[in-house]
Amino acid sequence: MATPVVDQPAAVLPGSALARPRRPGTRLTARNALIGWTFILPNFVGFAVLTLVPVLTLFYLSFTSSNIFGTASWVGLDNYQRLLTDKGFHTALGNTFYYAAVHIPLTIVVSLGLALLLNQKIRGVAFFRTVAFFPYITSIVAIAVVWNMLFSPEYGPINQLLGLFTDGALPGWTVSKDWVMPAVIIVGTWRDMGFYMLLFLAGLQTVPAELHEAARIDGASTWQRFWNVTLPCLRPTMFLVTVMITIASFKVFDLILVMTDGGPGRASLVLSHYIYTKGFVQFEFGYASSVAVVLFGICILVTVVQFVYNKRKEA
Amino acid sequence: MKRTTPIALGTSAALVLALTACGSDGGGAGGAGETAEGPVTISLAGWDFAATPEFQTLADGFMEANPDVTVELKEYPAGNDYDTALTADLAAGTAPDVFIVKNLKNYVTFQAGGTLLDISDVASELDPATGGLEAMAVDGKTYAVPYRQDSWVLYYNKDLFAKAGVTEPDGSWTWDDYEAAAAELTKGIGEQDATGAYLHTWQSTVQGFALAQSGADLEGGDYSFLAPYYERALRMQQEGSTPTFATATTNELTYQAQFGTQKAAMLPMGSWYIATLVAQQASGEADTFEWGIAPIPQADESTTGTDATPVTFGDPTTMGINAGIDEEKVDTAKEFLAYAAGPEGAAALAAIGITPALIDETVESTIFGLDGVPQDDLSKFAYTTHETLPENPVGEKTAAIQTILGEVHTEIMSESTPVDEALATAAERVANEVG
Repeated sequence: MATPVVDQPAAVLPGSALARPRRPGTRLTARNALIGWTFILPNFVGFAVLTLVPVLTLFYLSFTSSNIFGTASWVGLDNYQRLLTDKGFHTALGNTFYYAAVHIPLTIVVSLGLALLLNQKIRGVAFFRTVAFFPYITSIVAIAVVWNMLFSPEYGPINQLLGLFTDGALPGWTVSKDWVMPAVIIVGTWRDMGFYMLLFLAGLQTVPAELHEAARIDGASTWQRFWNVTLPCLRPTMFLVTVMITIASFKVFDLILVMTDGGPGRASLVLSHYIYTKGFVQFEFGYASSVAVVLFGICILVTVVQFVYNKRKEA
Repeated sequence: MKRTTPIALGTSAALVLALTACGSDGGGAGGAGETAEGPVTISLAGWDFAATPEFQTLADGFMEANPDVTVELKEYPAGNDYDTALTADLAAGTAPDVFIVKNLKNYVTFQAGGTLLDISDVASELDPATGGLEAMAVDGKTYAVPYRQDSWVLYYNKDLFAKAGVTEPDGSWTWDDYEAAAAELTKGIGEQDATGAYLHTWQSTVQGFALAQSGADLEGGDYSFLAPYYERALRMQQEGSTPTFATATTNELTYQAQFGTQKAAMLPMGSWYIATLVAQQASGEADTFEWGIAPIPQADESTTGTDATPVTFGDPTTMGINAGIDEEKVDTAKEFLAYAAGPEGAAALAAIGITPALIDETVESTIFGLDGVPQDDLSKFAYTTHETLPENPVGEKTAAIQTILGEVHTEIMSESTPVDEALATAAERVANEVG
């Protein structure tokens, strides 16, 4: 990449290159920077207009009492103070962490397992890979409606199946305060596993076969080879997947909105749902913005921690 | 030709901007009472025109009476997206001149946000019998007028009543009679998936009646008035008189299918369902059977019987004027509102099967003249006679309180939390979060 850029100025602008032979580096750097900027400009303009400006506005709004109409008055830290005592916010925060704490490890284990399984040379592997990827491209509304029926406590096939093995009380799933989060997490994992499986599959292609061969000659068992060869080689992929799942888990919204609408009561209310309710149902945009800032802070914090951890491992 | 169009558009836009700027600056010069001469165009916000013909009907009716005026419709998305999209346009100053306040609980937000013009003069000229009109006053001023108002009534399947050998409602029912009849019907019909009644999953199917019939105050902070209504709803689902809330939500049951395909003999529902049921029976989507409507069961005998006025609930759908409207259009917009909320608009709406806010004899004969609408006296009584109180009384805290009560509804009906505990928590939450 570097070589052609260095060559180019001499070929395109021989005059100017000769005229100022002393500081060709400065010009070159400026030129390179300009070229670089033009490459990322289309993307950056989109990012700036559609993401950066709204995010900065969000920070401003979180210090106001905006209800979107008229003028928003500055209220300082009032909104953040209200967060401290708002039980609805606390419930949403707790549920979001619950979802993330179970969904992240579960999805990683399931998708890695699937990737290892479908990395084998078996007949019809392409078919099974497609099947595993299918939930990811299915409409979220369809997923929510169908799973809701599967989970139906009285008539759903899941409880009918469970009924064959136990005589005890069956879980109420989406209409039970205690079972609604597990139900939502199961569906979330089922939906996401195909996508992350694909990333892991790509990662597995980069694991050198020679390492496995050498380990096998040294007498390492399958399990030992997985821990000491596959996993370390997968670390870049694992890092990417972890960051992506983490952010996605904290931001979970559509699935819960359609499946349970945060209910029963507030048993599955998560932060993004709370932001939506406060903002677009009750028009308290200022307060909703402050909740969004908290969610933003959590995502940034967790991601930074992961980056630092990854750097340290790399060093 | 093609090149000149954008230029022409640009110039006229600039001209309009300049003119409106002058208009608002020199407002004093024109003086009040001076109406616009020549053709005037006002814009009206509505949603999903293909499925909701009422906007076009009102616009056409008004334009016919006022040939100088053009009413332009601007389509917004249906459902809750209407409020979101309209809010964005109002905030940006690009909303139409006249818009529908679709959900009563957002009326105060729009009003407090300064987006609605004071139209007390229009309201004072309307028939006082216009449903929901009184409730629209905020500090003595009115900012939107009701043009349609559905009230909740009891739909019942006469064939299933006959089959089960249960006496049909006669207008004297309290909720106890309703509960007893539902149990008898379930037994009498004797089919596995048919129940005596169907209670839809919305919070209004319990809370709307409780609020209207108990006379409680939504902002009062005490929600124990909901308890008897919830206890009854729970009892009925436990006894099998209605499908359980769990089944209704997880299987996405619809009230149209439950009542229309004779899975339920009784259904408390808003009067909008009359037109739907007639249409679905005609198209074959719903079974063919004899049905009727009765007044909704009452809390006690003081409001039962056909010589009393039954109490029920229903939010009016209202129309207001954008505060950012051009001054010269204000009078035309007010005339349009007076038309839509008045007897002429009511007649036009009734002709397409919609229940207007003002129910007079013309409306009654129009609605009951439609093919497939039941002709018995009780149905006519139930349709025309009721005291309809709003589900969302106009108030600053209504939207936030209803969100909390909506959560309480799913909590109680899914039997996750006992009634009293859930209602006590609701009171705490309202105090904690709404203040």
